Amino acid sequence: MNAAGPLRRARAGLPGLIVLVALAAGLAALVIVAAGGHPPASQAQQVQQIAAGLHCPICKDLSVADSPAPLAQQMRQEIARKLRAGESADQIRARFVAAYGDSVLMSPPRQGVAGAVYYLPWLILAAGLITAFALLRRWLRAPPPGPLQTSPQQASPQTGPPQTGPPQAGPPRASPRTGPPQAGPPQAGPPRASPRTGPPQAGPPAGPPQADPPQLSAAQRRAVARALARLRAEEPG
Amino acid sequence: MRRWIPRRRAGLLAGVVAGVAVVVVLLMTALGRDPSVIASPLVGRAAPNFTLPQLDGPPVTLAKLRGQVVVVNFWASWCAECQTEQAALDQTWRQFQDSGVVVIGINFEDSTGAARGYVRADDVRYPVVEDADSRTALAYGLRGVPETFVVNQSGRIVNRVIGPVDAATLATEINSMLATSAQ
Repeated sequence: MNAAGPLRRARAGLPGLIVLVALAAGLAALVIVAAGGHPPASQAQQVQQIAAGLHCPICKDLSVADSPAPLAQQMRQEIARKLRAGESADQIRARFVAAYGDSVLMSPPRQGVAGAVYYLPWLILAAGLITAFALLRRWLRAPPPGPLQTSPQQASPQTGPPQTGPPQAGPPRASPRTGPPQAGPPQAGPPRASPRTGPPQAGPPAGPPQADPPQLSAAQRRAVARALARLRAEEPG
Repeated sequence: MRRWIPRRRAGLLAGVVAGVAVVVVLLMTALGRDPSVIASPLVGRAAPNFTLPQLDGPPVTLAKLRGQVVVVNFWASWCAECQTEQAALDQTWRQFQDSGVVVIGINFEDSTGAARGYVRADDVRYPVVEDADSRTALAYGLRGVPETFVVNQSGRIVNRVIGPVDAATLATEINSMLATSAQ
């Protein structure tokens, strides 16, 4: 066994590993930033932090921390009083929400319909990633386009239009657009599973050697078996 | 039979249509609302209690007025609209004070001298109290003056009026509450 093989494979996988580590580090940094960091040390900083999260009720787009309005000043004093009384930041915010409603919060609440603004971007991101992954997988699995394989049988009008679309790895389609293969002459060998492979008995191969037959799923195998059974039933004699 | 839309495309199309429908419904809901009208979460809930010093008289405690309809009006001497509604509040007080209805004026962000001058000049007869640190105003979710809260006999806020009140509306509401309690 050659020891250079694993080493070469490890080297080949290194860029992917670096990208993965970088993504993980970025995600961890995002989570840390979103968690909010350390609590403020002094009460004044706590007041500032709570006030920054509250909307000044008589201002346009100003927080209680930033507003010079007398009502905002009173709100800051009230926050300080409540902190001295031992209330937590959440309790103080809850008091203001009880009086003013959710609109007093600078950021929408995480509960209810408004909470969708927090979860929707992640859902959309997840859906996008899944779609991108599925598309990438399909592109990677699709064989490179080869020369179009035609045979007199395929070209005949009885068998439907020739297959000019992308190669199909799935079961034979029942759609009349492609035409069932039983319209051709009786075949001695097993019918083809896919039009892409072409009939084996149609003379010398017209194109390059065929790739390995596609791996079929259980559902696809069942569909092929049904098509075979149908073909045999319709064979004359 | 040939399908009108291929199955795979039909799923994608249905997803796109559903997404567009959700966005349209959200936009229609949001655009149909007046952004300047903000519902008070306090309506239907217990009115925050307060004990505040009267300008001329003993302190007033809301909880002690349980069983009576209370009209709580936030005002200030510098507020022009408060002058507009003063006549309506005076009329309500005169009309219902013998029926167990109390009108309380809460002075907001004002000086005691200016408030006294206003009360004297307008001959305000109902109790007027001072909310020096605005704690009561904050507890009521005040956004400005004038604002009026109507509290029923069981201490719940049944209405909140932003801006000047009118005597007819107040009378209708008070009569309705008095009739309910009489039954």
